[in-house]
Amino acid sequence: MTRRGTVLAAAGLVWLASLATAGRAVWDYQTTAGAPGEPPPRWPEGSRVPAPAGGRATLLVVAHPQCPCTRATIAELGRLMPRLRDRAAAHVLVYRPAAFAPGWERTEVWSAARRIPGVSVHLDLDGVEAARFGAATSGQVVVYDARGRRRFSGGLTTSRGHVGESVAHQRIEAIVTGGETADGTSRVFGCALATPQGD
Amino acid sequence: MAMSIAPVAEPHGSPVESPVKAADAHREQRIAARAAALFQERRLFGWKRLDRAFAWLMAGQWAFAVVIALLVSPYGWAGKVKAVHFHVYLAVLGGAVLTLFPAALAAFHPGRALTRHVIAANQMLWSALLIHLTGGRIETHFHVFGSLAFLSFYLDWRVLLTATVVVAGDHLLRQLLWPESVYGVLNPEWWRFLEHAFWVLFENTVLVLACLTGVKDLMHAARQQAAVEALRESDEVKSLALEMALAEARR
Repeated sequence: MTRRGTVLAAAGLVWLASLATAGRAVWDYQTTAGAPGEPPPRWPEGSRVPAPAGGRATLLVVAHPQCPCTRATIAELGRLMPRLRDRAAAHVLVYRPAAFAPGWERTEVWSAARRIPGVSVHLDLDGVEAARFGAATSGQVVVYDARGRRRFSGGLTTSRGHVGESVAHQRIEAIVTGGETADGTSRVFGCALATPQGD
Repeated sequence: MAMSIAPVAEPHGSPVESPVKAADAHREQRIAARAAALFQERRLFGWKRLDRAFAWLMAGQWAFAVVIALLVSPYGWAGKVKAVHFHVYLAVLGGAVLTLFPAALAAFHPGRALTRHVIAANQMLWSALLIHLTGGRIETHFHVFGSLAFLSFYLDWRVLLTATVVVAGDHLLRQLLWPESVYGVLNPEWWRFLEHAFWVLFENTVLVLACLTGVKDLMHAARQQAAVEALRESDEVKSLALEMALAEARR
């Protein structure tokens, strides 16, 4: 093999190895879910979020306003709501640390959520409400039925920040509109709501 | 007196005809050889030019990917703290992987089959990277079809085959490992990847036909140029002979 051929073969091997490494990194990133949280089995007392009423279910969505992945969650919420045909109300809790200036939470996540019919957006200072609902990851969705029982807990996206149809859509739709009796779960993809210790 | 007119058969290999036929055959051979050389020359020129164009395209895609990552997902957050997002690293480093090797091949090995196929594979991987960086937006999937169209400019259907294998391989692998990431459902029918691949094959069918027609046109053009060159050469020889005869007559 000539010197040029050797260099070419070496470069090709480096390229293939780099592709494999990058592919693995993307795969790990995409498929690593956040902490699932522990939403209470019944609508928590003391919450300032309006409890289910009028025979409708309630979807609760917890959102970190700066989390890029959560934009996909809100986009999917926008696709899901029309499918629920007015049988559910949705509340998006947008996190903001109390020490941060007002307006920090007014990102695309906030404005996109406000544009969805049937969705109310609430500021959640220091994540107090999120903690009450046992959420640990931005993008966490909890569905309570009309009687305040938890029926679904999980995320709306299939991977981190990735839009598209998901099993969660089908489960929530079945629970809210089709009378599905079994509870549902899915993995949550998004930024952590808790600040790491030491920061 | 009755006259019968019988057709006069031209004997094969007549001493009068054979030098003319041999000259024609020789001329044809020379035209064919010249046409083949012109065809190869033009193909090589086109391949080299496209290799360079794709190298620039990939550099542009690299810059675009970094800008997209910085605009769409500059930081990942955990509560109150932020860190540079994985997508920024991916755009910079992954973009380098997808750009530098094919660009180096385009610079140092232009016009080679290996270069074309590496470029085709990387171009389709660029589609995957851009789709990932834009969060799976359906609009970004158009990059796949645009790229196939660009690759068809090579007029080499094998390049399209490589590109298609990369796309289909990505889908098949995802279907096997994590179907929900492609189809949104956990247990898709086994043929679902074929449904996606069908649209790629649909475009490929048109592009392959365009490639074959393009090659035929290129061969035709090369043949015409070779014939024109031969005619010009023959005219020049005749003119020279005429001038020599006139000069001889004047003496």
